[in-house]
Amino acid sequence: MKHPIQTETGFVGNFQNGVGWYVYPTQRFKTISLQAFWVNDLTSSTAAKGALLPHILKRGTMRWPDSMAIEKQLETLYGATFRADVGKIADKQLISVSLDVIHGQYLPGTPDTLEASLAFLEEILNHPLTPAKNQFDQKFVAQEKELLRRQIRGLINDKNQYAMHRLIETMADGRAFGLRKLGQAEDLESIGPTDLYQYYQNVRDQSPFVLLVVGDIKPETVEAYVTHGWARTRHALGSIESYTPRHENFEVVEKKPVRQGKVNFGYATGHTLVSPEYPALMMYVGVLGGFPHSKLFVNVREKASLAYYAYARLDAALSLMVIGAGIEFRDYHDTTRIVAEQLEAMADGEISDQELHYTLEAFGNDILSEEDSPSQLIGRQMEKVLLGGGLTGDQLIKALSEVTVADIQRMATGIHLDTTFFLTTDGSGRDIDG
Amino acid sequence: MDKRSNTVIGETLYTERLASGLTICVVKRPGMKKVFGTFATHYGSIDNTFVVPGSSGITDVPDGIAHFLEHKMFEKEDGGDVFNDFAALGASSNAYTDYTSTTFLFSTTSRVQENLEILLDFVQRPYFTPENVEKEKGIIEQEIRMYLDMPGDRLHSNLMEALYKNHPVRLDIAGSVDSIRTITPEMLYHCYQTFYHPSNMVVFVTGDVEPEAIFTQVRHNQASKGFANQAEIDRIFPEEPLEVKKARVEQRMPVAAPLFMMGFKDHAVGKEGPALLHHEIVMGLMWQMLLGKSSVTYAELYQAGLINERFQARYSGGMTYGMSGIGGETLDPDLLEKELDQRLPEVTLRSEDLERLKKKEMGEIIGLFQSPEDLGYVFNSMYFRQIDLLSYLDVLGSVTIKDVEQARDTHLTEKVRAISLILPLEHP
Repeated sequence: MKHPIQTETGFVGNFQNGVGWYVYPTQRFKTISLQAFWVNDLTSSTAAKGALLPHILKRGTMRWPDSMAIEKQLETLYGATFRADVGKIADKQLISVSLDVIHGQYLPGTPDTLEASLAFLEEILNHPLTPAKNQFDQKFVAQEKELLRRQIRGLINDKNQYAMHRLIETMADGRAFGLRKLGQAEDLESIGPTDLYQYYQNVRDQSPFVLLVVGDIKPETVEAYVTHGWARTRHALGSIESYTPRHENFEVVEKKPVRQGKVNFGYATGHTLVSPEYPALMMYVGVLGGFPHSKLFVNVREKASLAYYAYARLDAALSLMVIGAGIEFRDYHDTTRIVAEQLEAMADGEISDQELHYTLEAFGNDILSEEDSPSQLIGRQMEKVLLGGGLTGDQLIKALSEVTVADIQRMATGIHLDTTFFLTTDGSGRDIDG
Repeated sequence: MDKRSNTVIGETLYTERLASGLTICVVKRPGMKKVFGTFATHYGSIDNTFVVPGSSGITDVPDGIAHFLEHKMFEKEDGGDVFNDFAALGASSNAYTDYTSTTFLFSTTSRVQENLEILLDFVQRPYFTPENVEKEKGIIEQEIRMYLDMPGDRLHSNLMEALYKNHPVRLDIAGSVDSIRTITPEMLYHCYQTFYHPSNMVVFVTGDVEPEAIFTQVRHNQASKGFANQAEIDRIFPEEPLEVKKARVEQRMPVAAPLFMMGFKDHAVGKEGPALLHHEIVMGLMWQMLLGKSSVTYAELYQAGLINERFQARYSGGMTYGMSGIGGETLDPDLLEKELDQRLPEVTLRSEDLERLKKKEMGEIIGLFQSPEDLGYVFNSMYFRQIDLLSYLDVLGSVTIKDVEQARDTHLTEKVRAISLILPLEHP
């Protein structure tokens, strides 16, 4: 067996010809965490199918023909946590199946729960229930379509998510990264058990596949499983299309019966994760709004009492920055003004040693803390695989520590307001009561 | 120092109780980067009426004051903010208030001792002025309004208001925009002095730390503050009748589909310690057997399109209240109600299902020790209810199918049942 490639993130493994496996061997956790991904381009014609597929996969397999049987199997595995869902990074849709199980050495009789977990994943991914040849169970498909349709329409239930989606959608202006990971309700109509099965076969046989595992295990076991079971000719991972702004200072105001206004600002930053300037950009966003000591929290919340939350975040894949706050409707203009003032202060280099120091310390804490969470370790490694680089761990902390105020100030020249999205009252919200 | 282990869970709790009544607990997690610490008080939103130790009169305070107090503890005398003290050390800090407790916390990957010192000091150094109290009202008002726009939050809040006639668990934890406006610095000091006494509090630390070093530090820190032990706080709760206040509550909001929640008010309250743990485990297992993901009823309701995978059935409670909440999104609340009414009393409760679910619970309690935040939350809430976390598996093992049958027979009755609905604005 060839020696696995040690990456600087603590994972061993590799990705080649569209197939990857990564293992983070550690005795820190009592669990073994596994997550398998299929990666596809997010397109309006396939998004709904990609979102529907994991729901079908978890409904039944040849061995466990319904979710009750699957659930009983999980309970027997000492309450293993099983998820099958869809995610999104920039313009990629990620279909994933994950399992967290207690390591056998901590259980009575020391069962081999890694073996059982791989067998479980294999059953879910490769042996879904097909009552007739080449098609999924018709009832499952009909039921899951209906539930997904409701989930898609349910976006409005979460006003934060709704406002954030509308902002990104507006900024995308028709580009793939503005699509929802769930697709659109109208695209579900035409999906049937046969064509969904065909889509599944294509994904299973051709989409890039990655399996990541964290726990006290031998990497060879995972390598053997992946090379044996998944190494066939697959599509290469397409590169992520970077974001460039199409608007300048564009404003969208939407009225709904809500009790609190949500204002979201979206900015182009001019840098990507693989850019050597990315650590400076991270520091810029951190000083501006990453933490409770940051300018936005201090000025919008603590000084002006306008909001309960006010933050800035960076989308690592697209390198766009968003600022968000939940405010009183009448405070829209005040909030906009204070946010603009903070951006000006950044551009003028009004950054104290304290702000710089606190931000660096906070990032250091976040980055190191990720190492205590199997799911965060897996997420970070997957991001690295997809984006083809970027610093992590101690290297990232070191790069951040070398960022100067002048570097941060230079970042400000690349920051441009693309779109403002404001969700506000239609005048009725305050009157609706239980 | 007291050291106790459970071999099946594979964990050890190190505890110590100081003369002031403060309890300290440490769980070692060798190899972990993060150290997580909490300083919690047995004081939550329901503690609105009480007798201050050493006095005779009854004190009533506005709704939401425990949560307001939590916010204000972060303010320092020099005008600074405690968040910054933690930030200077690279730690993150936060706090939360629930029905029965308030918890302050930090999470750090370096300088544990300095962070712990800040935690111990800021929670024991209140500073309230008319100005800083006034300023906080704007922030908390926005927090309350944020919850008012969250359908799931309203669903639960409305249900609690319907289930309870008198018990303060019927009120939102943050209070209302009107109630918090009446809060003054004097009231905050009054609550602080009553409930933030060390004898009503617990310090919990987990991570790659030496228990003895933590105990020595806390002992030293507390010695300089000169707390004498305090008599028990007399918390006064109104008589809660068996019947619910309202059998049904509805609210219209911008949601895509109706949200449904059926609640049962528990009358087997007043327990603590092992009896309370046994009760909670039985109730939890009962709901998993009746409506958990491996149950026939869940499968059939799901296949009928009446529920989705976010449907939940769970019991939650404390020493003075308890309730079950069952629900989620549904297109047909009336039919779901009818189905639940018909099916729940008739489900066959099987020993084999119980035994399998016990395995699941066992895995979950072992896994719990891996998540510092969850472990801290569970430890503190059990501590305040005088439950020993390490006894969990023994109590779990003692649960029988008869316990579950009996729980169903006594808990699921019409009298104690209420339904909360969130309906879309335009009903189809």
